[in-house]
Amino acid sequence: MAATGVGSRARDIFTALEYGPVPESHACALAWLDTHNRLLGHYVGGEWLKPEHRNAVSCRDPITGENLANCLQAQGEDVAAAVEAARTAFKAWSQLPGATRARYLTQLAKVILMHQRLLWTLESLVTGRAVREVRDGDVPLAQQLLQYHAVQAHAQEKALAGWEPRGVIGLILSPPFSFLDMMWRVCPALAMGCTVVALVPPASPTPLLLAQLAGELSPVPGILNVMCGPALLGPALASEPGVQKVAFCGAVEEGQALRRTLAGKGAELGLALGTESLLLLTDSADVDSAVEGIVDAAWSDRSPGGLRLLIQESVWDETVQRIQARMGRLRSGRGLDGAVDMGARGATAQDLAQHYVHEAQSQGGQVFQAGDVPSDSPFFSPTLVFGLPPAAPCAQAEVPWPVVMASPFRTAKEALALANGMPRGGSASVWSERLGQALELGYGLRVGTVWINAHGLRDPVVPTGGCKESGSSWHGGQDGLYEYLQPSGTPARLPFLCESLNYDTFGLVVPSTVPSGPETGPRTPSHLTLCSPAPPYGLFIGGRFQPPGGRSSRPIQDSSGNLHYVAEGGVKDIRGAVEAAHQAAPGWGMQSPRARASLLWALAAALQRRDTALASRLERHGSEPKAAKAEVEVSVRRLQMWGTQLQDQGHTLQVAGLRGPVLRLREPLGVLAVVCPDEWPLLAFVSLLAPALAHGNAVVLVPSGTCPLLALEICQDVATLFPAGLVNVVTGDQDHLTRCLALHQDIQALWYFGSAQGSQFVEWASAGNLKPVWVNRGFPRAWDEEAEGAGSELSLHAARTKALWLPMGD
Amino acid sequence: KGITTAAVCVYPARVCDAVKALKAAGCSIPVAAVATGFPAGQTHLKTRLEEIRLAVEDGATEIDVVINRTLVLTGQWEALYDEIRQFRKACGEAHLKTILATGELGPLTNVYKASLIAMMAGSDFIKTSTGKETVNATFPVAIVMLRAIRDFFWKTGNKVGFKPAGGIRTAKDSLAWLSLIKEELGDEWLTPELFRIGASSLLSDIERQIYHHVTGRYAAYHDLPMS
Repeated sequence: MAATGVGSRARDIFTALEYGPVPESHACALAWLDTHNRLLGHYVGGEWLKPEHRNAVSCRDPITGENLANCLQAQGEDVAAAVEAARTAFKAWSQLPGATRARYLTQLAKVILMHQRLLWTLESLVTGRAVREVRDGDVPLAQQLLQYHAVQAHAQEKALAGWEPRGVIGLILSPPFSFLDMMWRVCPALAMGCTVVALVPPASPTPLLLAQLAGELSPVPGILNVMCGPALLGPALASEPGVQKVAFCGAVEEGQALRRTLAGKGAELGLALGTESLLLLTDSADVDSAVEGIVDAAWSDRSPGGLRLLIQESVWDETVQRIQARMGRLRSGRGLDGAVDMGARGATAQDLAQHYVHEAQSQGGQVFQAGDVPSDSPFFSPTLVFGLPPAAPCAQAEVPWPVVMASPFRTAKEALALANGMPRGGSASVWSERLGQALELGYGLRVGTVWINAHGLRDPVVPTGGCKESGSSWHGGQDGLYEYLQPSGTPARLPFLCESLNYDTFGLVVPSTVPSGPETGPRTPSHLTLCSPAPPYGLFIGGRFQPPGGRSSRPIQDSSGNLHYVAEGGVKDIRGAVEAAHQAAPGWGMQSPRARASLLWALAAALQRRDTALASRLERHGSEPKAAKAEVEVSVRRLQMWGTQLQDQGHTLQVAGLRGPVLRLREPLGVLAVVCPDEWPLLAFVSLLAPALAHGNAVVLVPSGTCPLLALEICQDVATLFPAGLVNVVTGDQDHLTRCLALHQDIQALWYFGSAQGSQFVEWASAGNLKPVWVNRGFPRAWDEEAEGAGSELSLHAARTKALWLPMGD
Repeated sequence: KGITTAAVCVYPARVCDAVKALKAAGCSIPVAAVATGFPAGQTHLKTRLEEIRLAVEDGATEIDVVINRTLVLTGQWEALYDEIRQFRKACGEAHLKTILATGELGPLTNVYKASLIAMMAGSDFIKTSTGKETVNATFPVAIVMLRAIRDFFWKTGNKVGFKPAGGIRTAKDSLAWLSLIKEELGDEWLTPELFRIGASSLLSDIERQIYHHVTGRYAAYHDLPMS
């Protein structure tokens, strides 16, 4: 009897040919939780801390709702203790030779290899993500990250001479980001000699497990401290004195809020915001492959976010048909089932998706969902939204997991306009079998990562980051290392906060100026022959000197008492200058490096011709004759130097397991605004202008407030040499102009070298479009020294990286 | 109902023997013959057509033909179509399985085009390889062929079968192939009429797996009858 029973069952299996369950045992995850009596504290200073009277958040299985463990929530004092532990550890850890840190990271990679089952079952159990992705994607990558950064630590003394670790790094992760996002940042930080305090979402045991594994192995306790805590605690960690840099992963609004909170608090802020990705499907694409790319991007549990999909209209019907057919075959289920495409991600993610779908429907969008999932189930069906009017709020908003929002385009140019019209600039893929078209789109997209005919590839060697509202911090590759380094000898970052600074009124009003007498020249008539006449009056905008919009002037008095008037620039002038710069930026960015170099050299030659005039003007502003002459000479050399460095703009990376190269491109930022310091009126101006131009940016500069005439002198040569609008110089009240620039939404980056208050304001205001800012926090800079005046720090700030993946095969 | 293979595939010269042997065993498994100058296909067209006719006369109900690789590599798609049409006619009632020999066709684009032409010319099955090339059934090639089958089905409503051959030796491999078909074409293709695995050495591994399932021990090859 029994035999026939088995026989008929076997036949049923052969007839139905359904997938069977492939459960992954999570006994080891539960056993690990049991060793903590199902109560997880904070891992700080190399030991578990379970302080009393803390809230405990229960960590639940997102599918069954079963309570797996409780996680103690950190409070302010816990954060302070953790930062203290990291500070103590930093003293020893940063002094260890790179080879020792490399050995440690290699050992940690081995430990992860040995305990990977615990790692992947715990992660999948708690987050609900498909175990296949965690096991075959995240865990091997975490291990590769450790190995790659071990090599970097080993090579640090030689390859990164002149740079030193920043100190204590505060890492803040918001819910959709996983332990892997922590590893992307912890590995380079530890490799470079920094120590880390990580604040992870309220119920996330995996980062704690990693901290324990890392801590048990560490020669120095406290290099990696991890605590669970509410998002509210983020600013507390970020403002903790001693934290030198804050790396934040989360939503765009949270990042903006943190940027504002952190203005003037001292710590540098690196933001990685949003989770959305973009996929651009042209009519020459292999549609079936692209559909798999869409699955990888949104419905495979690989990415934390949703997908914006642009489809060329001529293949719209075919593509949608194929996507829908593919969606029908996706399987949702318990993450720990090995044959499941998508798990469940808990109530928050589900609510977010539900809300978006409702909104999209009410705004005229059509919704296609494969599979019938009951509303009380923990699963959310893969969802395709299309037909939204382009101006609908949902067409602009960030698309959440697991939604794909499709919209059509007609030409490649239109696709670029649509893609670049988004406020975010994270990652994108281009699908086209035509190489020329694919490359043109890949170069044209303003995002941090572009994959050609693939989506979601990752590798420790390749820098990953973004631009615009996605934040401009980097992880992976060389760029990821610099996030945790600073030029040697940089003083510790202390708060420069001015509590009384009123953001609403800073620089709002220009103090009125009245005529204070007629313009006067140099007094000694014998010098008259050496001096050039005063530079033309006006603001240098769009290639010519223009009267200021406010039609008023400000007096400038040099040290010998001579009086000059320069134009008083205002908000309208900044607007005009930025507009002119945008006109010039694309053409300049497309110029070959050689063409840019030759113009920089021509400007250097022009400066050389003017050297006596420039030197004498410097003298009249109080420089010693010898120093004045030297300042002019160094300025000339700076221009020449940036001209020669131009060839070094990017290189090819080789990635394991990928046939084909990855290009690391250095692209212009766009329009770069620069507020020059008062000191070194010539040298600082040139030292800032040259790298900005060399990297292909158009610039709007505010010259030295006390001595703007030297900049205006140079503008006379700029007018004849450079395309109109490439360089714009606006004189006037520095605080007022800084305000106008910092609040301008269409400036891509801002460098500020002025007062502490100004720096604070710039940091605060940059939250608007999250433009990268570089401020001096009120500290003077030694512009005459190579390291500070011409170092690679300038180069890093003057361009943004893009990784272009080019897999090959026929 | 017992479990059998879908067909017994032999060289043309052995068709008669195979038909006789199966009849003697009281078994209704169809006999398939590889024809058209298997495995290279480098014989005169007339000979190849005659070979098909003879095999059908001998009682083969399924004919596996090899396409002319030269026609693919030089892009003579119409000539390829005409040739397969003639094979089709020569087969008469018998099923036509067209072997693309994908290991020797060059890029995947050629595989896709050849698949579509084979289906347009009336093949009942398209088959990856003869099993005699150096590169046989690989997953990338299979995906291209399966998608061609799906495209053909979406355009015409005709279901064409798929047969990977060569290098599939373990039960685990066969499961991977089953799930590949399930994912790309769906459950309706998971029948002997539309999906077959061409594998001479797969059987013993399946038997070993069953042995392990039943006894809990891994079998040595000598524990099982030779196949």
